[in-house]
Amino acid sequence: MVLPFGLLMLTALLVSLAVARQAPSEPIPGRADIITIDGLRAFGPLERPPVVFFHGKHTEALAKAQKDCLACHPQGEKYLSLKYNRTADTDKQAVMDVYHDGCIGCHADYRSQNQPSGPVTCGECHVAEKAVNNIRAGIGLDKSLHYRHVKAAEQKCERCHHAYNPETKQLYYDKGKEGACLYCHKDQTQENRIAYRQAAHLDCVGCHRELSLQKKTAGPMECAGCHDPEAQALIAKVADIPRLERNQPDVTLVKAHREDEKVDAQKPRMALVPFDHLKHEGATQYCRTCHHAELTSCASCHPIQGHADGKMVKLSQAMHEQDAQMSCVGCHTQKQLRAECAGCHASMPAEKVWAGEAACKVCHMPQEAPVARPGYEMLASEMAASLIDARRQIPPPVAVEDIPETVIIDHLVDAYEAVKMPHRQIVQKLSDLMRDDALAAAFHTQPTTFCQGCHHNSPASLKPPQCGSCHGRTSDAMNLTRPGLMAAYHEQCMLCHEKMGIEKPANRDCTACHAKRAETARNN
Amino acid sequence: MGAAGVVGATSRTARAASNKQFKGYADSNAVLHDMTRCIGCRRCEAACNTVNELPAPEQPFDDLKVMEAWRRTTARTYTVVNQFFPDGDTLPPVFVKKQCNHCLEPACASACFVKAFTKTPEGAVIYNADVCVGCRYCMVACPFDIPAYEYHKALDPKIMKCTMCHPRILEGKLPGCVEACPTEALVYGKRDELIRVARDRIHTFPDRYLDHIYGEHEMGGTSWLYLSGAPFEALGLREDLGNKAAGEYTSGALGAVPIVIGLWPVLLTGIYAINKRKEKIAAEERAAAVSEAVDHAEVQAEGRLKAALEKAEQDKAAAIEREFKKALEAEAKARLASGGSETGDGEKA
Ligand code: SF4
Ligand code: SF4
Repeated sequence: MVLPFGLLMLTALLVSLAVARQAPSEPIPGRADIITIDGLRAFGPLERPPVVFFHGKHTEALAKAQKDCLACHPQGEKYLSLKYNRTADTDKQAVMDVYHDGCIGCHADYRSQNQPSGPVTCGECHVAEKAVNNIRAGIGLDKSLHYRHVKAAEQKCERCHHAYNPETKQLYYDKGKEGACLYCHKDQTQENRIAYRQAAHLDCVGCHRELSLQKKTAGPMECAGCHDPEAQALIAKVADIPRLERNQPDVTLVKAHREDEKVDAQKPRMALVPFDHLKHEGATQYCRTCHHAELTSCASCHPIQGHADGKMVKLSQAMHEQDAQMSCVGCHTQKQLRAECAGCHASMPAEKVWAGEAACKVCHMPQEAPVARPGYEMLASEMAASLIDARRQIPPPVAVEDIPETVIIDHLVDAYEAVKMPHRQIVQKLSDLMRDDALAAAFHTQPTTFCQGCHHNSPASLKPPQCGSCHGRTSDAMNLTRPGLMAAYHEQCMLCHEKMGIEKPANRDCTACHAKRAETARNN
Repeated sequence: MGAAGVVGATSRTARAASNKQFKGYADSNAVLHDMTRCIGCRRCEAACNTVNELPAPEQPFDDLKVMEAWRRTTARTYTVVNQFFPDGDTLPPVFVKKQCNHCLEPACASACFVKAFTKTPEGAVIYNADVCVGCRYCMVACPFDIPAYEYHKALDPKIMKCTMCHPRILEGKLPGCVEACPTEALVYGKRDELIRVARDRIHTFPDRYLDHIYGEHEMGGTSWLYLSGAPFEALGLREDLGNKAAGEYTSGALGAVPIVIGLWPVLLTGIYAINKRKEKIAAEERAAAVSEAVDHAEVQAEGRLKAALEKAEQDKAAAIEREFKKALEAEAKARLASGGSETGDGEKA
């Protein structure tokens, strides 16, 4: 009986000796110019794997041979066709022939001239799995890049912005109604409205090419120029971008209804929110950060009761959804990730931050309803302005002498001596960081609000309870959600330091905070 | 119950055990390791060393440089804290404490035919050196590479692994590591309760945690639970183990066939099926032992050591044979006593 046993062990050992440790694989270089050629999908399932094509490699090779885009992309109606060697997909065989004749033909030519060339056999292009690292990053016209285009186009918005007239079936320029390309051009082509990706490449690259042919300064034409994250980082940012004028208000009361809705002014409801539009323009990269579908008031799609235009998302959801970038609470929650905020906020459950009357009132300032009165627009802006002024009144900070200077933490002295925490210094540092932050100023409603970063779970006060009032001596199996005192101290300090990027004292450098206690003292 | 209880038991109970899933003792205890709280200070390692009276380490416990190399548990170290860089080398590391996971249905126990391992109602999987014959099948079976063997001891070597501080638990104390942890990256409590606590943490801080409690279901569930912000696979915690306990891979076969000589290959195949790395561990252990032996040889007379090792091997082989015979005899006897129901229509669950 021992025999099979021993044999198994032996086999095990032999097998293990044969399996050498795999060498770490070479990092795969990243590319921003990967195009998957699968044009035949339009005609049914593919017979072979699609071809992974590196566009940049080809533009480089062609440039060396003094050829330009026209070598592969024929002239279309306005700009060059985005398709390879054709302007339209006619039938399967024709499209297949275009690729096979064009690609293989060109590769063969280069080969015959003994020049570096590409594959000529089926399996070399139609590879099932190709190890490439796609680093392509989308690019948007943020306010800075937009402004550079405004300048280059000599303020002629109609060079890019257009609307569609279904009667004349023509594009036209609708002054004062400009919006983001994405509002109309979606992921997929819909009827005669081309997909965003197509629109961008046709118009952006097309225009860049024309400018460069006219020997004018032009934007990139190769993939990497726009889509390589490194290249994107090199795009110069314009300082002091002039405001984008699109008839938007400086301040307003956030509307709660659609224009055509009948409003019962007697109905009780939340106080309207005064909104500083101008200030928020400065805090966002794009108009579409908030106006994600069109440049109208939020309530035009998301009225209080919801509307099909806004997928039945109600105003309260649109404004308070924590996970949505374009909602007020969503964006403000994101802001709490900044190092200067995260020290406190990372250990604070979001629901606690956004709960409570105080938090609601910051936005929903108590007021008289302006809607019932005539001249709503004017009154609304006046009222918003005065409310926003009131919101900016910040109560005076806590007097220095009311902030304990040092706090001695000595309840747990054992292997280490007491900690002398520079309490006042910490408070003042945090106050400094918050001083010019309008968001913090608005939401930290009392001078003691931010004390609750550490003194959590008790009302804001100048004399909050000590940590030991709630946290017991050791990990408490009866109260697993509340750490023991030692862990409470360590977690509070360490998590804050980590989130604020404070490198010293390092988490594991025990003696940076408390000196090691002599063995003799310990035993007493 | 895994196959551990099977060998010595009657075919009746073997049937009963195979028909229902053992989901752990009610009210058993566990430890929750929250890696987002672990700072890698190694105080748990130090405490473990003290309470278990293990030999002093080569490098002191406040030497954090040891973390530059990945470590596993050994005959001298029941627990190690390793560091991982799941997002590349520049970001702050994630620290992972490694020790016996105290499986609800331990593979080590399934593989041990002398019942040297016991899953206690308190949650700990403990080992009894008195009955161990040194076959080291537990080492091969454990999917987490935990049990280690005292290769350095020529006489009476034992399997060494974390005990979850079972003696301390019985005294009403916390496991040594848990007590020492300055950040409560380790908390001890009822397993059910800890799962609720873990879920609560995930719910409260959805950005901080992955929505997964490692050990809740892995290998049929373990009494060491893990929370993390980075994928477990990137932190050295296997995600290819499935949610079945080791015993379940063999229970079908065990249930149908009474315990006969043919059992061994079946059981082993089951263990092999879940543990593809078994060979590697054995080899690593063996390599470590060999290098140790070589070191030794420089000091001691080489021949003597070799002879001692060989003798130990022979003793072990004999012991294995003896024990196995004993187990078979006991089984046969038990079968006679229970009416020898070969068709096995014994107890119905
Ligand atoms: S004592 Fe706690 S924090 Fe320190 S390494 Fe161990 S588990 Fe991590
Ligand atoms: S982790 Fe390994 S040694 Fe620990 S109980 Fe599970 S199978 Fe046994």
